[in-house]
Amino acid sequence: MNQAVTSSITTSRTTVSSRHVLHCCMQSEPAGLERLCRVVRVRGFRIASMSVESSGKHFNIALTLEGSRPISMLQSQLLKLHTVVEVVLGAQQARSVA
Amino acid sequence: MNGAQHILQAFQQHSITTVFGYPGGCIMPLYDALVGDVSVEHVLCRHEQGCALAADGYARASGNLGVCIATSGPGATNLITGVANAFQDSVPLLVITGQVPAELIGTDAFQETDILGMTLGIVKHSYLVDDADSLPGILIEAITLAQSGRPGPVWVDIPKDILLAQVNLEAAEHQERKSCASAEPQTDSATHNAAVDKDISETLRLLRKAHQPLLYSGGGITLAGAEDGFREFAEYSALPGVVTLKGIGNPGRHNPNHLGMLGMHGCRAANRAVDECDLLLVIGARLDDRATGKPDTFAPNAKIIHIDADSAEFNKIKAAAVTINANLNDVLRALTREVQAQPLKIEAWQRQCRAWLTTGGFQAAGNEEALAPITGPAFVRQLSRIAGDDAIISCDVGQHQMWVAQHYQFNRPRQHLTSGGLGTMGFGLPAAIGAQFAKPGTAVINVAGDGSFMMNAQELATIRRYRLPLKIIILDNQCLGMVRQQQELFYNNRESHINLDDNPDFVAMARAFDIPALRINRTDQVRRSIETVLAYKGPMLLHVTIDREENVWPTVKPGGSNREMMEDTKPAKKKTEENAA
Repeated sequence: MNQAVTSSITTSRTTVSSRHVLHCCMQSEPAGLERLCRVVRVRGFRIASMSVESSGKHFNIALTLEGSRPISMLQSQLLKLHTVVEVVLGAQQARSVA
Repeated sequence: MNGAQHILQAFQQHSITTVFGYPGGCIMPLYDALVGDVSVEHVLCRHEQGCALAADGYARASGNLGVCIATSGPGATNLITGVANAFQDSVPLLVITGQVPAELIGTDAFQETDILGMTLGIVKHSYLVDDADSLPGILIEAITLAQSGRPGPVWVDIPKDILLAQVNLEAAEHQERKSCASAEPQTDSATHNAAVDKDISETLRLLRKAHQPLLYSGGGITLAGAEDGFREFAEYSALPGVVTLKGIGNPGRHNPNHLGMLGMHGCRAANRAVDECDLLLVIGARLDDRATGKPDTFAPNAKIIHIDADSAEFNKIKAAAVTINANLNDVLRALTREVQAQPLKIEAWQRQCRAWLTTGGFQAAGNEEALAPITGPAFVRQLSRIAGDDAIISCDVGQHQMWVAQHYQFNRPRQHLTSGGLGTMGFGLPAAIGAQFAKPGTAVINVAGDGSFMMNAQELATIRRYRLPLKIIILDNQCLGMVRQQQELFYNNRESHINLDDNPDFVAMARAFDIPALRINRTDQVRRSIETVLAYKGPMLLHVTIDREENVWPTVKPGGSNREMMEDTKPAKKKTEENAA
């Protein structure tokens, strides 16, 4: 589908690091959090804080992330995980200029 | 019925007739179940990496699911390179490993590895089965997932005690139903279709507005089973087109507007067209860095329309004006209908692209003197003439791989098996074995380098065991040619650990496995030796000694721009130039 694209990766790889809040719901499975954290790391983000609540069949995960790449790219990669049900982006703020 | 027997039943239910495996401690219950089983052919490879790569080659050649099996610990870790290879190239694979009994997991037991944890980054999904009753449902889900959407490997790790445990069929049926529902993609089809229609309209609007539109296709065409739809669109749109390494064969070899492979070792015409186009229609490709070169200078004047099965690829490397995440066949057929009804007016651009191809296609230096040394490109061209459209060529990785990509005239994508994303040396021989099982009546040829061949040479024993008629051609330059080339060009010609002049006698080696072999080193031997090898009923190896100093041209410096292609600057040898066009 068409997506609003404000910048390509070539312009997004600037030194501006942003802080993002991301809420993720995924099916509860033993390796679930590992899968999630691995994708976050490999796709260029650091976890500033993370809280996890288990509600029976699901994990509800709140993440505060830092990184300079477009957060929409991470969102789409997380959605590829088979056990991820939903990823919702919260507030974003530019944090620092390296 | 125990867990192991249920796996065989699942194979049967899903028409899985060939699997590649290697037994060991924790997977022994499954091997016990295989005794007397006639529904599935188990192919014993001689190393687990061979199993995974053979399953990969089987899947690529057939379009069906590849299956590999290994035990825990080293058996599982040996699979990893093959599974990563399948992951990078989106090949559907079911990987089954034994694990230590559940109560021993986490005790550092004999042959225990956390294979699930180790492989999270190279699988589409994975499971550690913790309950025998859930095994049937997991298998259904794994088999479906591996082949749906963007395909990929799915790993099922099964503790030995679960392989031995009885499956409660009533509970299992319940799990199976849940798994079927879970594996199917959930979309609001009416909303989705309306959005796709709108994007197809926008694609057509941009196509008609463009003066210099270019078609860019990759391996996703084959993965989506959209070969025919693509070929029709390419024909009726008459768009000049380029392909990625994995897209080779997409347009067939008779499309007059096809410019060839782009990228690091692509032809000058293809890279030039990308550089000059004002609209790039990307279908079934992910804009890999070996294809795009430096992204800033890739297609700098073009609006990009990106059509793919994986929406996570959109806007990853280059921003797209339109993105369409839908069945490629449906989109291609819709586009074809429109361009058939109202053809594109791009004659001047077509003429320009053909002119570029005349001077910027792949060039092969051949020497007409009978006693002249053999060059890789000239050999591959001769192979292409003789083996033609029917043969499946399975490459390893390195210079020979690029010469095959550049100079073999492929007519369909599943004819060309190559390790694109991971670049796995040692891929070619086991992949050829898998392809030969998938297509027993087809000529399968492994074109290898001397370095790559040694990476999985143990699989000669598999060829002998099953009397596979596949052919092995080693283009031997007595070094790691691609590394040598890059050391020459980009590291001041400081050769470092690339010398392989102590290679074994490949002919004697093949004969030790009861595989007849020939050796050639002169141009006048090429044609007859290829004919002899292809005519032979059984397996055969052809050892071809080639010039050590030959490079793959053109080339782009890693990380550089495709605008800055390097050509051969060495003093011209006595050669004849032949154009690939």
